[in-house]
Amino acid sequence: MFRHERAPGSAPGPEALRLVKVSKTYGTAENAVTALDDVTLSLPAGSFTAVMGPSGSGKSTLLQCAAGLDRPDQGIVVVDGAEMTAGGEAELTKFRRSRIGFVFQQYNLLPTLTVLQNTLLPFKLARRRPDRAGAREILGRVGLGDRLGHYPDELSGGQRQRAAIARALVTRPSVIFADEPTGALDLRSAREVLALLRDAVRTHGRTVVMVTHDPVAASYADAVVFLADGRLAGWMHAPTADAVAERLAHLGDTVDAEV
Amino acid sequence: MFMLAMRSVRRRPGRFAGTLLSAFLGAVITMAFNSMHDTAGGAGVDDSSAETLGLSGGVVGGYSTLLVFFAVASTLTVNVRQRTDEISLLRSTGATPAQIKRMVTGEAAVIALVAAILAIVPAMLAGNALLEMFKDTDQVAAGVDYVFGPIALGAGFGITLLASAGAAYLAVRRATRAAAGERAPRARMRTIGGTLALLAGIGGISSTFAMEGDEPVLMMGPAYGAILLSVGFAAFSTGLLRALLVLVARPLGLLTGGSGYLAVNALRRRAEHQAGILMPLILFTGIGFATLCIQAVESAAIDASGLVKSVEDKNVETLNTIVVGIIVAFCCVMLINSLYAATSYRVKEFGGQRLAGATPRQVVGGVGVEAALLTVTGVLFGTLAGYAGLLAFVSVRTGAEMPGSGPLIWAGIVVVGAAATMLTTLLTARRALRVPAVVAVA
Repeated sequence: MFRHERAPGSAPGPEALRLVKVSKTYGTAENAVTALDDVTLSLPAGSFTAVMGPSGSGKSTLLQCAAGLDRPDQGIVVVDGAEMTAGGEAELTKFRRSRIGFVFQQYNLLPTLTVLQNTLLPFKLARRRPDRAGAREILGRVGLGDRLGHYPDELSGGQRQRAAIARALVTRPSVIFADEPTGALDLRSAREVLALLRDAVRTHGRTVVMVTHDPVAASYADAVVFLADGRLAGWMHAPTADAVAERLAHLGDTVDAEV
Repeated sequence: MFMLAMRSVRRRPGRFAGTLLSAFLGAVITMAFNSMHDTAGGAGVDDSSAETLGLSGGVVGGYSTLLVFFAVASTLTVNVRQRTDEISLLRSTGATPAQIKRMVTGEAAVIALVAAILAIVPAMLAGNALLEMFKDTDQVAAGVDYVFGPIALGAGFGITLLASAGAAYLAVRRATRAAAGERAPRARMRTIGGTLALLAGIGGISSTFAMEGDEPVLMMGPAYGAILLSVGFAAFSTGLLRALLVLVARPLGLLTGGSGYLAVNALRRRAEHQAGILMPLILFTGIGFATLCIQAVESAAIDASGLVKSVEDKNVETLNTIVVGIIVAFCCVMLINSLYAATSYRVKEFGGQRLAGATPRQVVGGVGVEAALLTVTGVLFGTLAGYAGLLAFVSVRTGAEMPGSGPLIWAGIVVVGAAATMLTTLLTARRALRVPAVVAVA
């Protein structure tokens, strides 16, 4: 199995995502909640990383800050060599369009568009020439070749998520962020979706960052980053579901030791 | 359940603002005009004055019942739809459909009561002003004193309460049936109702040709015909919207890029949901255009004939203006309410568009294109209905010609309708975008 022997923060060679001393606090001064506390990490291109941690550990905040959906209070985020600048929403949107793809727990397909239209939407919004052949090819690959004209509400949860993955892949982004992509799926659909994400990394060289609370889902990744109380709390290469579950269960013990 | 109703009104007064406003306007109009009955019943009122007062009270009073009903029904339908989560929560905690109906109906009754109480003083002032106007135009003798009595109060409270509770009952019944998984046979009802309205409208306009060119009631046929045509068109408006979309999809996509693409697809897929917006818009345009132009033609024809306006002519003119004013105001309230609700309901959808890579400007742009397409559809149909009535009237009325002020009246109506549509939609969409995209879709 493909292994990363390097520790985070010291990855040489092409780097898909880098976070440097990223912090994020929610709420007002008196009852502030530190969601991310001085997080630094680096992910090489062509890697599949799972981000794990208990509820409230800051894993969703990490993903949102890294993906340009939220702005960190401090620190810098670099995607494919380009630093995310502090701009308005429009500026961040344009930054994301060319570099980042998303897969959400709730699929987030537009209900008024067909599967094919949803997949081509990123091109339409960016006013680029839609890559129809590419979209059809990717949709065929995720097993929706005969569902191009269907609307999301005519598809099963697994099919919707596969359509969402096709949409995330079609613009060939530097990094694909997946937020609990299997959270709403049955076991079989979840396996298919995870296999597709792994395939995107192995066969097509994409970089995938996936937030999950499911050790089985995490075992599909090359490496797992653990978070606790907004800090990095460990790192596991070539994870197995059992090892991840074991590590999660004792995460509280290791918070201080590992950082 | 009544306690729950009281509590929900007290804790969330804001979301009842639309209902309160429509019920309040309705109560003011009902009371003001019904106080004409009280005034007519006063001591020493001559027959001619009493007739004018009774006529205005009867006609406008009747209209206002219907309008309160429609306006409150429209705001409540929206209110109930926005509370789908709350209603399904109540269902899962063990509330029966009957209990939910009682809660929503109770809320509506409380709102109506508040609205009617608030309406008393404004209605007195409005009624007094109305009487003064009748006196100034010599339609009512100068010596008549204004009375705000039991008929005004009774009708005001009765109509507002009954119309609100009835509208609430119908709105919640539809919602609880939908929640229970039943499909309402609305499409067929709409087709039947729309066809009937169109036929009646054509009949009304045709009846103009059967009358003499100088009968005072000549205006009734074309005016009511135009109103009914508007209603009929409104029922079929979603079909025309679809046809329009097919025509404009490509040029619009080229012209406006991502925004137009989002708008056309959203409208095409949801064309049938736009009826609630197109209906008031078509009624607003059709009724306003037809009645104001017909009145302008009538006045010009009387002036041209060299006759002095009779009391009856003046009555008709006053009533026409007032009725149109009321209908148009209510349609505007309904339009704004439906648009506000429809747009604020889409926070999640906007979040989805933003996460898919749409900038805020593209989202608002898409909503703007949608509003523009709706305006064009509504104005087109409304104009058609109004023009049919106007044309019939002009061709029959002795000594009438197309009013010179026609285009101006039309432009004024279109500007108001378009402004209400665009401003409400754009401002609501802008507000909906303040929610972070990730939160919006959660």
